[in-house]
Amino acid sequence: MKPERDEISGQETTGHEWNGIKELNTPMPKAFHIWLWLSIAVSVLLWILYPSFPFIKSYAGGILGYSSRIAVTDDVAAGRAQRSEAFAPFETMSVDELAADPGLRDAYEDEIAVLYRDNCSACHGRNATGQTGFPNLTDDQWLWSGTPEEIEYTLQVGINSTHNDTRIAEMPAIGKDQWLEKGEIADVIDHVLLLSRQDHDPDAAARGAALFADNCASCHGDDGMGGLENGAPNLTDATWIYGGDRQSLHDTVNNGRAGVMPHWSDRLTEAEIRKLTLYIWWAGQDDGDS
Amino acid sequence: MEGKHAKLERNGIAFAIMILFVASLGGIFEIAPLFTIENTVEEAPGMRPYTPLELAGRDIYVREGCYACHSQMIRTLRSDVDRYGHFSLAAESMYDHPHQWGSKRTGPDLARIGGKYSDDWHVAHLIAPSDVVEGSVMPGYPFLAETRLNVDVLPASLRALQRAGVPYSDQQIAIAGRDAIAQADFEGGFEDALWERYCENVQVRDFDGDPSRVTEMDALVAYLQMLGTLVDFDQIKVEEIAR
Repeated sequence: MKPERDEISGQETTGHEWNGIKELNTPMPKAFHIWLWLSIAVSVLLWILYPSFPFIKSYAGGILGYSSRIAVTDDVAAGRAQRSEAFAPFETMSVDELAADPGLRDAYEDEIAVLYRDNCSACHGRNATGQTGFPNLTDDQWLWSGTPEEIEYTLQVGINSTHNDTRIAEMPAIGKDQWLEKGEIADVIDHVLLLSRQDHDPDAAARGAALFADNCASCHGDDGMGGLENGAPNLTDATWIYGGDRQSLHDTVNNGRAGVMPHWSDRLTEAEIRKLTLYIWWAGQDDGDS
Repeated sequence: MEGKHAKLERNGIAFAIMILFVASLGGIFEIAPLFTIENTVEEAPGMRPYTPLELAGRDIYVREGCYACHSQMIRTLRSDVDRYGHFSLAAESMYDHPHQWGSKRTGPDLARIGGKYSDDWHVAHLIAPSDVVEGSVMPGYPFLAETRLNVDVLPASLRALQRAGVPYSDQQIAIAGRDAIAQADFEGGFEDALWERYCENVQVRDFDGDPSRVTEMDALVAYLQMLGTLVDFDQIKVEEIAR
């Protein structure tokens, strides 16, 4: 059956008739058809070139042998190579040698700041000044010594971390584990307040001296100065990780503390750890006296 | 062209068959790959089902809608790998029902957050994020630290996953509640038993800083601290998992 041609428009009709109403046959414009078939052709081409359909045992790999995983691995390696060129001194020199070169700070500090912000700033703050529970890295007070080599080692193995060689430092729960009685703890706290030159009860502090010598001095030292070899903090200065007021001290002595610094040897490269070591060491060089 | 189309349009059965064919294409492309899923999921040494405590944490993660702002999918892009670590494997979400890949990053990707920060930091951060991270827009979840974890529902949670194909044994299911409490108790000496029942990469300790009880905070931090830590990537060559 030949469809009828509409007289006014000159176009063919669909050939259907509904209650005397006929419809013009207006097919998709040619351009749409061409576009559709072109995109189908492109997708077939991509199926051939790139991985596409799953099979029973494997999948269609594509004749280019492309793998996004290999591509990104190469990409990351290229980026690493680029960075190791840009940060050449950090690839070959030890942290001591790096620290001895005063020109490096101006050249690299701003770039390393990105690495610091990505990994360290969540705990130690954007300016490395720390916050409650997380030490200030810009002052001269160090738990495990502030030499570049020791900072590097702390970054690698962490403190109380899950690394096999982690540094370990734990403040026991003197109260909870009943090493000392309540009154004795109050006396020890007064002694610590005395050591740090804060307001204290002299009688209680005197009673606390012997308790301190018996229970605390093995880590914190007879004079309360702490020790860099065991990570015990200095109690005589104004620097406190968990607070130096009576209530905070009570929490610390009663419940103990075991702050964790994660280890970074699995997450960062050796060169990246050296960069952060220097970044932190540089940050500590600003207070004029060193 | 015109003629063929007109012919097809006028043949009811041929037209119905064509519609059926086109409509089923979508289904074929979605369903067929599932029959060969073992080709997609890599051999990943160290991968294991969640322990009950981690699973409870994961349920809290889902309940609180963390996935709305955090993805768990490190894509095969250099920027992703440089920032978050090794790209995610299919195997790493093989026991996730549903997976938490997410589609939006208001906060950072969490696929390898495990071990990056300390437990103390996670607890302080979950209680009041903007106190710890300057400028953070994440809401606080202080109630987690005050809410005792309901471990009674854990056997049922494990059972549901077992039905979805996660290889939990009946014994693991039976003592799921006890295992959850044991994992948050370092003093209790349950480490060996948990390692034997699950794997040696189970972390056993008090996660929320309050050893006297097991809270939802314990569960969530236990979950966050194991994310992305299971698979031993030293044993995997990228050529073997090239896709």
